Amino acid sequence: MIEIKNLSVTFGEFFLRDVNLTINDREYFIILGPTGAGKTVLIECIAGLHRIRQGNIWIDQVEVTHMAPEERNTGYVPQDYVLFPFLNVVDNIAFGLRQIKYTKPRIKERVEKLAAIVGISHLLYRNTRSLSGGEKQRVALARALAPSPKILLLDEPLGALDLRTSKYLRLELKRIHKQLGITTIHITHDLMEAVEMGDRVAIIQNGQVEQVAQPEKVLFYPGSERVSDFIGAPNILDCDSCQSLGQGVMEVGCGNLKLIIPHEGDSVHKVAILPRHVYVSEIRPPGRGVNCFSGNVTSIKYSTSAIRIGIETEGKNLVAELPHHIFEEMDLTIGKEVFLILRMRRIRVYENSEA
Amino acid sequence: MFKIMRGAGGERVFRAATITALALLALFFFSIIISLLTHTNWDTFIRALVSEEILFAIRLSTTTATIAAIISILIAVPVAYAISRNDFPGKDLVDSLLDLPIVISPVALGAALLVFFNTPVGSAINNNVIRFVFAVPGIVLAQFTVISALAIRLLKSTFDGIDPRYEQVARTLGCSKPEAFFSVSLPLAKDGLIAAVILTWARAVGEFGATVTLAGATTLKTETLPTAISLSLASANVEKAIAVIFVLIIIAIIALLAIRKLIGRRYQI
Repeated sequence: MIEIKNLSVTFGEFFLRDVNLTINDREYFIILGPTGAGKTVLIECIAGLHRIRQGNIWIDQVEVTHMAPEERNTGYVPQDYVLFPFLNVVDNIAFGLRQIKYTKPRIKERVEKLAAIVGISHLLYRNTRSLSGGEKQRVALARALAPSPKILLLDEPLGALDLRTSKYLRLELKRIHKQLGITTIHITHDLMEAVEMGDRVAIIQNGQVEQVAQPEKVLFYPGSERVSDFIGAPNILDCDSCQSLGQGVMEVGCGNLKLIIPHEGDSVHKVAILPRHVYVSEIRPPGRGVNCFSGNVTSIKYSTSAIRIGIETEGKNLVAELPHHIFEEMDLTIGKEVFLILRMRRIRVYENSEA
Repeated sequence: MFKIMRGAGGERVFRAATITALALLALFFFSIIISLLTHTNWDTFIRALVSEEILFAIRLSTTTATIAAIISILIAVPVAYAISRNDFPGKDLVDSLLDLPIVISPVALGAALLVFFNTPVGSAINNNVIRFVFAVPGIVLAQFTVISALAIRLLKSTFDGIDPRYEQVARTLGCSKPEAFFSVSLPLAKDGLIAAVILTWARAVGEFGATVTLAGATTLKTETLPTAISLSLASANVEKAIAVIFVLIIIAIIALLAIRKLIGRRYQI
């Protein structure tokens, strides 16, 4: 277990103010926040890379606040992996094992085992410069895991990867976490990554922890307006009926709005969809039209990053977010009839009725 | 003026101007080498080259330069690392102070060393510990004083170019601070280190001003290669001077080729 109490740190332009967190054993804990929020400084403090003047950190009831990094037994994967360029893949993974004086046969055995776990057995004798982003990420992960750390610290591990590799590695990271059962702290600025991967999520903004909760709670019950703004002010709809359609699909009723969602549980209390996942069209989309509705534009709000369109449909007010270039290609005005598609896979579900 | 040089015509004029500057400089150095070659009487050259005096100067210069380069690198590595990795009050002042030997005339440095050995402390060292003034250790000290700043400058830029996070990651993998330095930063600094060793050594071989001021110019005692040139010219023995100049040119070419061979074009001086 990791306990952080009243931690305040300043490091260049980045800072943390009075951070309090408890991370449980074997938990996959996500630290979510915008760029510059202080997320990296926080895990670097846990790894022992910054001098702490105020606050305390305990790992398994042992105070590590002023311990050197090498005494903390943490595995750290930096954002751009920082593989040692003068060593090949095997020697990168074996680096930590040599420090704890493993014998050569034990190093070989451990490296091969980890390479198999992270799926890089075919890369072992490659130069690290010739690896792709996803491969580098796996090597850095194997290197961090090699000395059997108590905690794994991942700094935006999927941030530098293309979307396809990133989505694949999300599943891989969860599988590895499940297989090894290691307490993991994962930093990201991507809400969907946090929601899909985390057992719990801490939202950090301006160096302060705004909310710590299960991912669904963050999505459905943002702790503050700032959190709500950061996660993109999702459309949240109360469900008053639900009916299983079989094969993991359910129809839920939110007033007059009937939505098809992927869900295998018994009941659904609320559903949420981010404005950027609500697609808007001026013409009726072809096909069967699952989760496709017609509505009228009620508001258009401009911001530097996107245009937010308010649309009334089936008695509900939904918000869609369009990139500037898409909005400029459309001819949207207040009162105009448009068609909405709520992508089934993007709809998040909240089962509990307690807030 | 720059406005009229817009477009493709301007680009051609600019390119021609820069290439002309390059050609003129190359021609200048080429002319110097040609003039040396045309002035050389090869029989006299060979005789001078294998003379006891020149062979002694070659041995003395290479030995003292090697010792001076080793000492300067051993000291420059921690100093350059300290300046590169730490922020402390007065860092700019210390940094500038360490650059002084680069900008001050070597003769002035030699004279300053001579003055130091006339102080009570310096005199005690010179008389009781190691004799530097007008002695071979003085050559090493003079060369060290001149080249240490160069070594520090080269190694500082090398350490500046190494991301400190390599060491941070090494520490999370179980390395202590010194272990992280030796097992990560030093291997990462290999190219810069090789370049610094070769360049400081070559600079030490060619050092004259400080050496002659502190160690003197006694034939077959403190006569290094540059001192031999000076002594030969003073006695109007031009062939001998040219022979030594060629030795220095060959040493410089070998040093530069060694850098290219060992580290390729990865290290830009």
